[in-house]
Amino acid sequence: MRKAIALLFCLVAPALWAHEGHDMPGMSMPKGPDLGASAAIDGKGRLWVVDAADGHVRLRHSDDFGRTLSAPVAVNAQAEPIYAEGENRPKIAFGSKGELYVSWSQPRAKPWTGFVRFARSTDGGAHFSAPVTVHHDRAEITHRFDAMAVDAQGRIVMAWIDKRDLEAATARHKPYLGAAIYTSVSTDGGVTFSDERKLADETCECCRIAMATTPQGEIAAFYRSIFGDNIRDHAYAVLHADDQPLEAQRATFDDWHIAGCPHHGPGLAIGADGVRHAVWYEAKDKPTIHYGQLEPGKAPVHAQVIATTGASHADVAVSSRQVWVVWNQVNAQGSALMLRESQDGGASFGEARTIAQSKDAVAAPQLLLWQHRAFVAWNTAAGFRLVPTEAL
Amino acid sequence: MIRRALLAVPLMLPLAAQAGAPVALKAEDVPGLLKPPAHGVRVLALWGLDCAYCESNLQALMKLQRAHPREIELIAVATDSVQQSVALEQRLHAAGVDTLPSRAYADATPERINYLIDPDWGGELPRTLIIRADGSRSGISGQLTPAKLATIP
Repeated sequence: MRKAIALLFCLVAPALWAHEGHDMPGMSMPKGPDLGASAAIDGKGRLWVVDAADGHVRLRHSDDFGRTLSAPVAVNAQAEPIYAEGENRPKIAFGSKGELYVSWSQPRAKPWTGFVRFARSTDGGAHFSAPVTVHHDRAEITHRFDAMAVDAQGRIVMAWIDKRDLEAATARHKPYLGAAIYTSVSTDGGVTFSDERKLADETCECCRIAMATTPQGEIAAFYRSIFGDNIRDHAYAVLHADDQPLEAQRATFDDWHIAGCPHHGPGLAIGADGVRHAVWYEAKDKPTIHYGQLEPGKAPVHAQVIATTGASHADVAVSSRQVWVVWNQVNAQGSALMLRESQDGGASFGEARTIAQSKDAVAAPQLLLWQHRAFVAWNTAAGFRLVPTEAL
Repeated sequence: MIRRALLAVPLMLPLAAQAGAPVALKAEDVPGLLKPPAHGVRVLALWGLDCAYCESNLQALMKLQRAHPREIELIAVATDSVQQSVALEQRLHAAGVDTLPSRAYADATPERINYLIDPDWGGELPRTLIIRADGSRSGISGQLTPAKLATIP
């Protein structure tokens, strides 16, 4: 009898457990698509958005500044795993002849591994080429956190985080912190990519790379690096698309020491006057978003704190003397999209202003410029939003 | 008495079988997790799947906890969704730390749980939150050095 009762409980208790689990809101809620998305506005004012769903990078467009979005076009016809969360998100850029270029990182079987993928459309986004893997190294290791930009000559410049040098050092029992950054260029509109070049060793392994165009028409990169013993400050480099040597220089000096993953890359916008407007994050004392104008090799000028506790994932844009900084501000209720503006070229910024709010999960905001107006692409679990920055 | 004890055993079996499988951590569970322990310290080892430093940090903390079992209560808290519990459990098992009590986020907005756990934490991993019986708390970001580990008990 006792045995029978005990057996009964053995059978019933797991069922109770399972039922309890099933009733938990977090459990019963289906996992939505990852929120990593990128957007761009073309010369005609059409908004383009890429994100990932069901193994496809999907492209949508809008002719009414995001109020309505078109039906999605699958960039990769054949489904494959896609990184689209946190600092990883599909990217979109325009070619000089109206081409649409899309890149993303594809997870491989082992943790933290990936391949950088690329596809293009030459018919306005109706069809895409079969995806290609950008790097020539095909080891099953980290090649991810892709960044992409098109220079003034129409060359596609790619950069990504790459662990081939870490693997080689580990095999030789040599110390190696973080990962390397590699870069590759396509001079034929994405049909082929050059052999990859190493920009820098020992950089942060989990933070996005920011890119912007210099007044000379080249692409510059700003990224979290590692200095000394896990000081995770940032470096700046011009990614020369020709054979000029690549030179990275330390550009922030907060001395945040962390043997860990900040998952928090910087933002960069370069004015027509060459001023390098940058935003970045560190949490030496508490979460802090900084603004400064980069002077590679030296401390930034006009450095100022933009936001602290609860602030994350800032972006920056510049048009003439106007500078915009946006970021996510989390609180106990949800997230707010915050804005600070400068009218004097970044010397000073106005008060922080809430321009949108969400009770749902949100992705990192991205500033987009169109005809000297700034908009914020903000992907939320409730849908994609294009938020204007003008005060109502 | 014996009958009660016997009944209690099978009731606990499913719990034991769940060791390593993360239990959902909802926003309303956070205050309970942050409540000061009756004595010693409660250590929340925040970790994630996309964190190359997290498993070795969990191992170091577990070693410390095993050396001070009465003083330290150690809980592994994954910032990934509890819906990824299979992957989380596999990773904990592979690292040999699947015997630790384990939680994983169950909220539509993980950043909100980060904020509720510690407003002065921006989500960087690994993160170690130390909650002492006197109500004081301290957070350390990044892999713990031996010197920092020594400050915990």
